[in-house]
Amino acid sequence: MKLLLIEDEIALRNTLVEYLRQNGYVCEVAGSFEQALEKVKLYDYDCVVLDLTLPGTGNGLDILRTLKADGSRAGVLIISARASLDDRLTGLDLGADDYLTKPFHLAELNSRLRAIIRRRQFQGHHHIAFRDLVVWPEQAEVFVREQPLTLTRKEYDLLLFLLTNPNRVLTKEAIAEHLCGDAVDAADSFDFIYTHLKNLRKKLQEKGADNYIRTMYGVGYKLSFE
Amino acid sequence: MKLLTKTNRYYLLLTTALFALAGVGLYYGLYAALRHEVEEQLGNARLQLERRAAAGEALPATPFEYQLSVSPQPRPLGYRDTLLLDPVEGELVPHRQLTFRLPVQGRPAWVTLRKSLVETDDVLGVVLTVLLTVLALLLLSVVLLNRWLSQRLWAPFRTTLVALRHYGVQEHRVLEFAPVSTDEFAELNGVLTRLTRRLVADYEAVREFTANAAHETQTPLAIMQAQLEQLLQLPEMANPQLAGLVTDLYQATRRLSRLHQALTLLSHLENRQFVAPAVSLSLAQLLRDKTEKLQPLLEARDLTLHLHLAAEPSGLHLHPGLADSLVHNLLQNAIKHNRPGGSIEVRLSPEALEISNPGPAVSGDPARFFERFQKHDAASASPGLGLSIVEQIGRYYGFRVSYTFEPNGSRHTLRVVF
Repeated sequence: MKLLLIEDEIALRNTLVEYLRQNGYVCEVAGSFEQALEKVKLYDYDCVVLDLTLPGTGNGLDILRTLKADGSRAGVLIISARASLDDRLTGLDLGADDYLTKPFHLAELNSRLRAIIRRRQFQGHHHIAFRDLVVWPEQAEVFVREQPLTLTRKEYDLLLFLLTNPNRVLTKEAIAEHLCGDAVDAADSFDFIYTHLKNLRKKLQEKGADNYIRTMYGVGYKLSFE
Repeated sequence: MKLLTKTNRYYLLLTTALFALAGVGLYYGLYAALRHEVEEQLGNARLQLERRAAAGEALPATPFEYQLSVSPQPRPLGYRDTLLLDPVEGELVPHRQLTFRLPVQGRPAWVTLRKSLVETDDVLGVVLTVLLTVLALLLLSVVLLNRWLSQRLWAPFRTTLVALRHYGVQEHRVLEFAPVSTDEFAELNGVLTRLTRRLVADYEAVREFTANAAHETQTPLAIMQAQLEQLLQLPEMANPQLAGLVTDLYQATRRLSRLHQALTLLSHLENRQFVAPAVSLSLAQLLRDKTEKLQPLLEARDLTLHLHLAAEPSGLHLHPGLADSLVHNLLQNAIKHNRPGGSIEVRLSPEALEISNPGPAVSGDPARFFERFQKHDAASASPGLGLSIVEQIGRYYGFRVSYTFEPNGSRHTLRVVF
């Protein structure tokens, strides 16, 4: 999957590139409006991760307009430090697929990217396999060793979030905000993650799945390969 | 009272006073001039009579006895006023008389000459009639002139007034006027244009400042958070001491970022920095969605939430982001200050949105709950901005937000009256 990351802040860009490459994306970068414009004009991407504030003669919304005017098939995820509610609306109105306010959790970024790419490319013929687990995201169906598994909505969301970020420590904050929306006060909501994880583990074990959800004490949880 | 009515009232007072003064002056002036003229005529007649007497001629006979009377008896001499009966009109008429001694054919005689004065009330009548007519004509013409002038000359002022009345401060545009020929109005329009230009510039400066402040703060926070997340992935994090340190840092970063987002929202609300149009949205649907999202939180605390969605408030137009924030903060507040196993009652009616929850009585002035950084539990990680945001959104849309506490069921209720 080929991504274009448009972000002017070098430290953040490097971290994001490192993270995205770890997750199997082919990632190109642009640090200014002009660079970004050149790249979106010349190459095709599966998804463009777009910062709104850019050095140069235009901003992220102009890039988005260009993409839409050119009939690009790339998905667009806006990442912005401008917490303005208007920017979000404008971005989505212009045809962006999703909007993340900085700072965000890396796992959340990945989860949103996967969702965009799934929606745009696989039209439902896509599944995620992890050890003895198979998930069909479009149908929201989960199979453990070919047996269907019934989960509640939140348990399913939790499992999918873990599956999108395998072998990575997901902090409790990231999980809480993914499940309840980013406005939730994470400090108040850690107990519910524990409950949901407990139930999810129990259901997986009943179907004979291995115990691959690891608790990283005090930090969060991890879907482990071992 | 209209400016025109006010000026007319002063005109009326002034002209009436002036005319009264002129009337009195005119009356006495006319009267004095008439007497003087009559005395002069009497004096002339006396000279004539004296000349005839000196020539030894007899005094002329007069057909009107009251105009000239001769008496052998002494009479008081000099000018006097007297009233005589006018036989035709049948009323007393004021006369001026002059009595003098004249030797007529060797014998002394007292001659009295009389002449009618114009009747006082006649003079008064004429003076008043003339003056009142002129006064009335003057006032009428002043009023008509002013009315015409006010329509003509004040037209630019009324145009300015209409433009001002329709000017919304939140539109953030400069008020421009068509050029006018009257200096005062041109100056007024100029001042207003400068004022609105200043308003727009200030607004732009504040908007840019908050946008930059948000950007400049959130970007380093984003870097910190991303790096810390990457740090957590390292194998060295198996060391619980190290992991604990990083997690604390990570949580503090989140808290800072959350705080900053809330403050940015508050500042946007205060500066009315929402350009996107308010849309007609379903609060009931929003409440259902939010409840669904917060379900895990409710379950974890063993809370039950009941939605009583009677009817949508009609004609309610809100910014989607603000509506979301309003509902979210109200629900979050009801969850946070609840007791385990408690219930949350959400009532939506066309007039108000009401959210109540049980909880221990809170000390302190309820009005202060809406202030920034007011938190019930000083040790809480939440900055205590939720209700401020609710109140500010309420103020933004002109809703009244109130808090009540019922000691009986020990329930806290927050009401947003649309």
